[in-house]
Amino acid sequence: MVKIGKHKTDIQIAICGSAGDGTIAAGDILKQAMAKAGYNVIAFDIYPPEIRGFGKCVARARITSEQVYSLKSESDALVSLNDSHAIAHVQEVGRYGAVIYEDTPISDIAEGAHISSHLAPAHLPYGVAFREISERVTGSARSRNIVAVGYLAGLYDMPVEAFHHVITQKFATKSQALADSVLDGFNAGYHIGANTFHLHFDRIGTSRGKGKQSDLVMMSGNAAVARGCMDAEIDAFFGYPITPATTIMETLAHEMPKRGARMLQTEDEISAIAATIGAGYAGARAATATSGPGLALMSEMMGLGVMAEVPIVAFISQRGGPSTGLPTKTEQSDLNLAVFGVAGDGQRIILAPTNVEGCYKCAGKAFEMAEKYQTPVVVLLDLYLSNRYEAVELPKKNPFAKNCSKPITQKTNQSSYKRFKLTNDGISPRAIPGDEACMHTVTGLEHDEQGRPSDHPVMHQTMSEKRHKKLLGAVNHRGITISKRFGDKRKVDVGILGWGSTFGEILEAMIEARKEGIRCSAMKVVMLSPLPLKPINAFFDDCGEVLVPELNYEAQFASLIVGATGRQVHRLNRVTGSPMRVREILAEIRRLADKAQMIAAQ
Amino acid sequence: MNVREPLYLEDKLEEIERSGKLSYRSQKLPTWCPGCGYFSIEEGVSKAMTRLALDQTNTVCVSGIGCASRFPFFMNTYGFHSLHGRALPVATGIKVANDDLTVIVVGGDGDAFAIGGAHIPHAARRNVDITYILFDNGIYGLTKGQTSPTSIVGFKTTTTPYCNIDQPLNPLMMLLSYGASWVAQAYAGEPHHLTRMIEAAIAHRGFSYLHVLSPCVTFDKTSNTYQNLNMKVRPLPDDHDASDFSAAMTEAQNNARPQIGVYFTSQRPTLGDGLNDVAKRAATIA
Repeated sequence: MVKIGKHKTDIQIAICGSAGDGTIAAGDILKQAMAKAGYNVIAFDIYPPEIRGFGKCVARARITSEQVYSLKSESDALVSLNDSHAIAHVQEVGRYGAVIYEDTPISDIAEGAHISSHLAPAHLPYGVAFREISERVTGSARSRNIVAVGYLAGLYDMPVEAFHHVITQKFATKSQALADSVLDGFNAGYHIGANTFHLHFDRIGTSRGKGKQSDLVMMSGNAAVARGCMDAEIDAFFGYPITPATTIMETLAHEMPKRGARMLQTEDEISAIAATIGAGYAGARAATATSGPGLALMSEMMGLGVMAEVPIVAFISQRGGPSTGLPTKTEQSDLNLAVFGVAGDGQRIILAPTNVEGCYKCAGKAFEMAEKYQTPVVVLLDLYLSNRYEAVELPKKNPFAKNCSKPITQKTNQSSYKRFKLTNDGISPRAIPGDEACMHTVTGLEHDEQGRPSDHPVMHQTMSEKRHKKLLGAVNHRGITISKRFGDKRKVDVGILGWGSTFGEILEAMIEARKEGIRCSAMKVVMLSPLPLKPINAFFDDCGEVLVPELNYEAQFASLIVGATGRQVHRLNRVTGSPMRVREILAEIRRLADKAQMIAAQ
Repeated sequence: MNVREPLYLEDKLEEIERSGKLSYRSQKLPTWCPGCGYFSIEEGVSKAMTRLALDQTNTVCVSGIGCASRFPFFMNTYGFHSLHGRALPVATGIKVANDDLTVIVVGGDGDAFAIGGAHIPHAARRNVDITYILFDNGIYGLTKGQTSPTSIVGFKTTTTPYCNIDQPLNPLMMLLSYGASWVAQAYAGEPHHLTRMIEAAIAHRGFSYLHVLSPCVTFDKTSNTYQNLNMKVRPLPDDHDASDFSAAMTEAQNNARPQIGVYFTSQRPTLGDGLNDVAKRAATIA
């Protein structure tokens, strides 16, 4: 439901069409413009794996003056650019929500094929001749998505200048004539929208203006990752295209050469991580990015990175699996592969941000950690996080430290330098090619302190301990949230433990539950390996029942937690390809709260 | 009767030390079998590095997995003993990170043409400025004698106990067609020629590929033995024009009677040149 009142705004708009209708582009203009105007925006698009064809596209944007953490289960308005796809989404429109569609004469189409015959009584119908307006104003029907955006902006009294700015910026690189034509289309739609009779829902209220408006940047998770890489002064990136990670590589391909940094598209994922390890060994800040299938190919190399103690960063954006799975649908089912997927005992650092701002932080901090602990660092994202847009405020001062390598303090000569020297914290002083008198060979074989192959039983025991011990410091790494608790303090009936993109839905559900009087709190775990066991155990101590919602079938995070703590949890697993629904989590919280109350009463 | 002067070990050692090539050798002795052709390759690399006066501090030897790939441990340079088949992409990463390093990649026929086959065309077409020395013994030695992509038809190994039925690859033709900017062949039984080839390969700016025929004395008693290769190997014709790609392809066709020498050489921008060019273009736009 839209909140009534001049100063609060919380509207969610869904635009639905067929691939090629400009659905995603329309949603893009909407979210960029509203973020520009100072609103908090969370947006997430769903699209098919085909470029054209007749697959369904849905662009959703939640525009709000409040602090929110996820999309809502219900939308307040649905714009249909293709009725055959949009009909299925009518049910997500709440009471007194608007359904906006192409005004086609009913006589022209088969019974039931028009969206207007699927509306609920409490839906507000708006039929607009987008196609006709687009043809009349711009000379082609191709801008009907823009006309629809204009109409929407007019209907809700959205700030028109922000739209003009975004449209001009978006199309100016192509041609001025095109930009003008698109602006005409937008204005025509806006004019009609603004003059449509509507009493029923509130207009857009004032923005909250988090910080200064100009500091808010609308950004996807993948764009935030790329920005984090740039701010951490990445030197080299190697990648191979794969949905949904490709946009990280595309953004970096654009940005890195401007600073003289080097980006290369390799022949496959194996060579991508191999080259990343080569560059990391040679002293560069190097990274790669892929999805689950690519990570599977990278497993062997990940083990080499662990054994040879090479600092690299790998961004993994998960999608539906196993195998090729669901390339354009979201899932959190690569946790096991990320945490455990190497031959032998190959622990490395795994970070899983929960929102777009976290993507930026984890990306930059991953380079610090890789260097400091001399290990591969995996940053685990998923399609929902990679592709979802949030208005974020980036820190004004670059938060990432440069060169975190343990320096060589003692003077060495040819035979005295030990690349894998045993130290108290397990971290050895690191030399790179070009350093005087520190020549050594690194290897995937077990080795002695100088790096020479050794299968001596004591050596393997000692070196295994070194490689695991050195990671323990990471749970106290500065300047990054490793885990965090939200909601009620001290003893609660229900605790929700979450990771990754699902944590937004978890927070929303927890806030709702607290409004209902349930004592509950939620905890996010950002570092999945090594696990921050102290705060996790403290959380278990405080919670009557613990719920772990995640988007996979095998309850991978829940199993990880149970294995590490020996505690009991309640699992909530969904693999629908879409983000978890807030109301599903809420229902579980209610059920567990009742259970906790009953146990307490006994 | 002609009585030879006795050879004293001390004199020989002094001579070796004076040559300077030992500074390129590590303290660790090679773990190859006595008689292995790889010794002469290592000797050749040390000598070539001495002649070129390469700075060990700025030299990296990269390898995959296999008998040949143990090479970096025996050199006194920086080294990366990586994974089976993956030496080339690792070396590419090293060069992208630091173009000033001299990178020598070594590997065997299985490492290169079986598991690592997908990486060779891309390192070659990008003209990564590295030297790739391929130790071809036509067999898997480290796993104790299995057939390889360059084993001849009819070869009996532990995994082909009746006979090998697969056609061997022709690495020289492959590398030529991949666009390698320098392609040559040498033989471990011709150490002086081998050394000259290694020196030229390292000196070449761009991707240089040196194919070295080298007997496995332990697991191959019938096919690529010194005896057989001594009879078969001959030099490229005197009038071979190494700038002529078609001539190189023609000469490379004869797998059965291998010819040693430089097949093809050309100059074109390296990967590093290309990346610098991209940075320049980006800077003008930004």
